[in-house]
Amino acid sequence: MPGNRTRVSCSVAVVLALCSALSGCGGTDDGGSGGKVVLRYTWWGNPDRAARTEKAIALFEKRHPGIRVQTSFSGYDAYKQKLATQAAGGDAPDVMQLDYRMIDQYASGGVLLDLGTQKAALGTGEIDAGLLATGRVNGKQYAIPQGRGTETMVYDVKEWKSSGVALPREGWTWSQWADAMRQLAKRTGKPGGTDPGQSEDAFEVWLRGRGKSLYTKDRKLGFTADDLTRWWTFTDKLRREGAVSPAEQTTQLDGSVENTPLGRGKAVSDVNWDAPASGFLALVPDGVALAPMPSGEDGTPGQYFKPSMFMGVSAHTSHPKEAAELIDFMINDPGAGTILGAARGIPVNESLRDKLAPALKDFDRTISDYQSSLEGDLKAPPQAPPSGDNALQTTFQRDYDQVSYERMSPREAAKNYITEAKAELRS
Amino acid sequence: MTATDVQATGVPRTRPATPSRPKRRREGAAWVFLSPWVLGATVLTLLPMAVSLYLSFTDYDLFNPPHWVGLRNYTQMFTEDPRYWRSVVATLTYVVIAVPLQLALALVVALVLKSVRRAKGFYRSAFYAPSLLGASMSIALVWRAIFNDGGTVDHLLGTGGWVTRPGWALLAVALLTVWQFGAPMVIFLAGLQQIPGELYEAAEVDGASRWRQFLSITVPMLSPVIFFNLVLQTIQSFQVFTPAFAVSAGKGGPADSTLFYTLYLYDRGFVASHMGYASAMAWVLLLVIGAVTAVLFRTSRSWVFYASDTDGGAR
Repeated sequence: MPGNRTRVSCSVAVVLALCSALSGCGGTDDGGSGGKVVLRYTWWGNPDRAARTEKAIALFEKRHPGIRVQTSFSGYDAYKQKLATQAAGGDAPDVMQLDYRMIDQYASGGVLLDLGTQKAALGTGEIDAGLLATGRVNGKQYAIPQGRGTETMVYDVKEWKSSGVALPREGWTWSQWADAMRQLAKRTGKPGGTDPGQSEDAFEVWLRGRGKSLYTKDRKLGFTADDLTRWWTFTDKLRREGAVSPAEQTTQLDGSVENTPLGRGKAVSDVNWDAPASGFLALVPDGVALAPMPSGEDGTPGQYFKPSMFMGVSAHTSHPKEAAELIDFMINDPGAGTILGAARGIPVNESLRDKLAPALKDFDRTISDYQSSLEGDLKAPPQAPPSGDNALQTTFQRDYDQVSYERMSPREAAKNYITEAKAELRS
Repeated sequence: MTATDVQATGVPRTRPATPSRPKRRREGAAWVFLSPWVLGATVLTLLPMAVSLYLSFTDYDLFNPPHWVGLRNYTQMFTEDPRYWRSVVATLTYVVIAVPLQLALALVVALVLKSVRRAKGFYRSAFYAPSLLGASMSIALVWRAIFNDGGTVDHLLGTGGWVTRPGWALLAVALLTVWQFGAPMVIFLAGLQQIPGELYEAAEVDGASRWRQFLSITVPMLSPVIFFNLVLQTIQSFQVFTPAFAVSAGKGGPADSTLFYTLYLYDRGFVASHMGYASAMAWVLLLVIGAVTAVLFRTSRSWVFYASDTDGGAR
């Protein structure tokens, strides 16, 4: 009898030991930080942004000796998927970079902290009221815009100039753009630009140039299958002519500048956002320049100033105050402003923007000048896209794949898209 | 086990009045030792399965609490989602291409390696290595680079990038799997070495050709092993994910040509945040794999030859 009891208690002890050994592996990461508060901060971007972010974080840690910031970054597509998984598991990073498209979903899903509760640590007085409002859902400030961006047609300066094709100018129309693409293809032997048919962003610019929008105020689709058919017929024709990139190039687009035809040296231009366009400098040996997006045929501008990205705090963070301090630093600190430049768009802090503008260097200056040239000409930004839009961006590209690989007509693909979009937006 | 249970089975009670006490204690110890496994199986397998079954009847979007929608996910899948059917076709095409090719290659290499006398170990490891490496993401990425537009294959054969062409991308992914034939090869090799040499000697005396020997001795004697490999590889191929994910950058492209079932499932769950729909897809996959395996077992009766069938169980 005593023997049996010993055996049972022994095995219990073994199991307990195993359990504690297992849980030991997943121990807290406070161990190596010497009692400091550890913040996880994640973002998407390119190596250029990474270098500047690390430098800014080092300055932040110097100013706040009690806080250590663990950063991690990846490309946009991968980031989007990882963050969704983390957020769903209740394990969102303390501070995260967010896109316009994520805010509605994350805020209504309870992932984000109401930053109105952290007013003491986070100043927003220097941000344009309209811009600040883009981070608000149901009256609560869930995210702070971090920069101002706009779309651009970025091009290989030397290649375009030596081709003799007239340079793009403000107020040019989509048909003038198409002609330029054709001529460039003829004279340089490679497509004039990336096929914009796959990009929901480019489609939005085109659509706004026709006086319409992606979404209506009550969060429904703002366009019809006819509109989309017209857009895809337009881009598909250019693709067939060789004026824009072939399907094999277009399908490799994943949000990084490295995988664009321009970045690979296989086209003269690309349609992109202005801030990430700095990544082209490392890829295009003779440098790139920024041109405004084409307007509607009657001159209506389609592009707009958009909060390029936001910063938000996890609703589950154990350090809301420190997280708010980090955002405050990234947005309002002059030192951070100098280091970050225009890596995430032109600064949102207005006095900082005015102070920094003359001191901006190199490509930051290019972006800043480009934005100044557009000021006053553009129409107001649309309201933040509804939740389902987050997935529709990918759907848009996929459906266009069917067109560019000639497996569906523009009309069939457009009908498909409308069906899928309606299904997504209902949820 | 209680006394009445014992009586119910008709076993006479021959033991003392308290027969079960030490036994029960020993059982207890067994359970304690088993508990890590039982805990793991319950918490990590059974519970998630039950939850996923429940979620498949809801519209769970990862952020908000799930709503019961009954069979809507299932009806949507079968009647309203062309992309779902594209993923089914892509997966079936892949299974039909990859499994036979892989097994054939594994068998051929096993036959060759069986007769290799020198540096046996080296060759065997060399052919097995891709399977070990193949599980990793990095090889799939290298594969993508090789078959990409402007990649090695493009340069050597001038065929353009395979992974950027809808007609070829699936084949590129299938080749990656076929190349990882090491595991079935090792099993074939073991099976081949079990075939008694006398059979071949007798056939040789009777003047049977090599090909005849292969068809009449090797294939039937090896059929249980072939069957085992076939079932295993088929199940695995239905669940193919990593190579397609890496080769198509997670998109199943170009033009949905490598949108395998699991890839689309992942896309619905983690990109579009339709976890309910993804769960429903997972359960359909489970049922289909079960059905296909059952069919394979049924057909096996007519072509799988077990030595014991004729020996009357002598071995």
